[in-house]
Amino acid sequence: MTKKPDIKTWKDLNVGGIIESGTSEHFKTGDWRVKVPVWQSQNCIQCMTCWAFCPDNAIKVTDEGKRGNYDYNFCKGCGICAEECPVSKKVINEIKKAAPNANITSWDAETNQTFKEKASILMVSIKDAKEKYNIK
Amino acid sequence: MEKTIVARTGNEAMAEAMRQINPDVCAAYPITPATEIMQIFSSFVNDGLVKTNLITVESEHSAISACMGSAASGARTMTATSSQGLALMHEILYIASALRLPIVLAEVNRALSGPINIHCDHSDTMGERDAGWIQIYAENSQEAYDLLINAVRIAEHRDVSLPIMVSTDGFIISHEMERLEMYPDSEIQKFIGEYKPNYNLLNIDNPITVGSLVLTDYYLEHKRVQHEAMKNAMKVIPEIFAEFKKVFGRQYDFVENYKCDDADYILICLGSTAGTSKVAVEELRQEGIKAGLLKIRVFRPFPAEEIVKYISKAKAIAILDRSESLSTQAGPVATEVKAALYDAGKIIPMQSYVYGLGGREIYVDQIKDVYRKLKNTKISEQVKYLGVKE
Ligand code: SF4
Ligand code: SF4
Repeated sequence: MTKKPDIKTWKDLNVGGIIESGTSEHFKTGDWRVKVPVWQSQNCIQCMTCWAFCPDNAIKVTDEGKRGNYDYNFCKGCGICAEECPVSKKVINEIKKAAPNANITSWDAETNQTFKEKASILMVSIKDAKEKYNIK
Repeated sequence: MEKTIVARTGNEAMAEAMRQINPDVCAAYPITPATEIMQIFSSFVNDGLVKTNLITVESEHSAISACMGSAASGARTMTATSSQGLALMHEILYIASALRLPIVLAEVNRALSGPINIHCDHSDTMGERDAGWIQIYAENSQEAYDLLINAVRIAEHRDVSLPIMVSTDGFIISHEMERLEMYPDSEIQKFIGEYKPNYNLLNIDNPITVGSLVLTDYYLEHKRVQHEAMKNAMKVIPEIFAEFKKVFGRQYDFVENYKCDDADYILICLGSTAGTSKVAVEELRQEGIKAGLLKIRVFRPFPAEEIVKYISKAKAIAILDRSESLSTQAGPVATEVKAALYDAGKIIPMQSYVYGLGGREIYVDQIKDVYRKLKNTKISEQVKYLGVKE
């Protein structure tokens, strides 16, 4: 005889459908990305702007209260952190000053050498992330 | 109990009820076509007569969203709106009911555009009849005041936990001054009691997720729960009404039976038209026509059995809908009454009308004519437009 599977029925649901907190941790959403942010810690000034702007919780803070690396399980690759990073912004302005016609954005990691060297956050393709930055 | 007799418009009556309820939070965006309910209430806030946190937002969509956040955080929450404002809330109304947040909304029935119109009809609330909110239609200022007070108890009842809208007819009630019996603030507070929320989003000792994603596996079950909550409201509403009668002396029910018991011809309507129809019933009875009126007060949940109980002995019925469903069939009230009769195994000749859209006046003579036609002419299966220029 088969035992009836232990399935929650409509009668078992909490009022308003509320559930315990933190369930998004079990639901990895990083594979939605088409671009990948890469943190260049040597250029970072630890302003935490990126952490404040990340619409997810994908930028970790270390025990010392410093900017940690990305949590790629949850980063959606939206690029907001790169857009808001003041270091990256400064580099873009520098490039534009030197070459007024340069059409450069924080997505240009692979096309602009200066940006690649000095920016604190680069946005790169999934392929480059894997091959050049060892991010899976 | 000491009652104060005052002269108040429907808007003022609802604002006074809100003052006495003294909710923790009101979020509103009272631009036209909203009425002055919120404007009056904001002066109560300004004068320190309530402790309500009044949040002014940038749209009705935001108003109901803020109300939801507030209610989910355990605050007793109210708002007010009308017409396009309610329509703009549409998306969020469904979420509020699914999250079982007992928000109380003071609604004034005004037409939806287009054409642009701010006068009375029921198209705004009828457009939200499937949003999972309890809906109560008041005939006059006294009902609006009383029912808003009852609404708090109904919405917050543990077995119900659903948002609720109490509506009055735009201009006809909202802007007309009427005699209003008000009860002492302390009695209202005693009646509504303390709000004990089902859950509290801000309780950091017990963190929860509100509004999680539910896909094909459990969405159906969640709706089944809401269905049950509405069924519970069928049981709870008469209990609260009975308690209200005990304290304040006024009797309410799902419907109002006005001389239906021996009536041959019964008219069914909602809201202020019931007042006009009562005069018609009286005059017709003097002519020897046994007329009766059934006013539907609670439209959601739909009191099908109650309605059938009062009309099943009639020779013919007329149903007046103050909104159009544009299905080429009758309006929502007639359609649902028909379904109720079908379930009860009864076939009664029924003439459905659409009337009063965009604030078009309805007169005693027109209603008398409706009764006379029930008696004297063949009933048409087609819905008729009452008072249309043709
Ligand atoms: S790309 Fe977007 S999601 Fe990823 S860390 Fe930056 S801001 Fe957050
Ligand atoms: S990566 Fe940029 S935004 Fe983030 S902390 Fe470093 S400098 Fe600031």
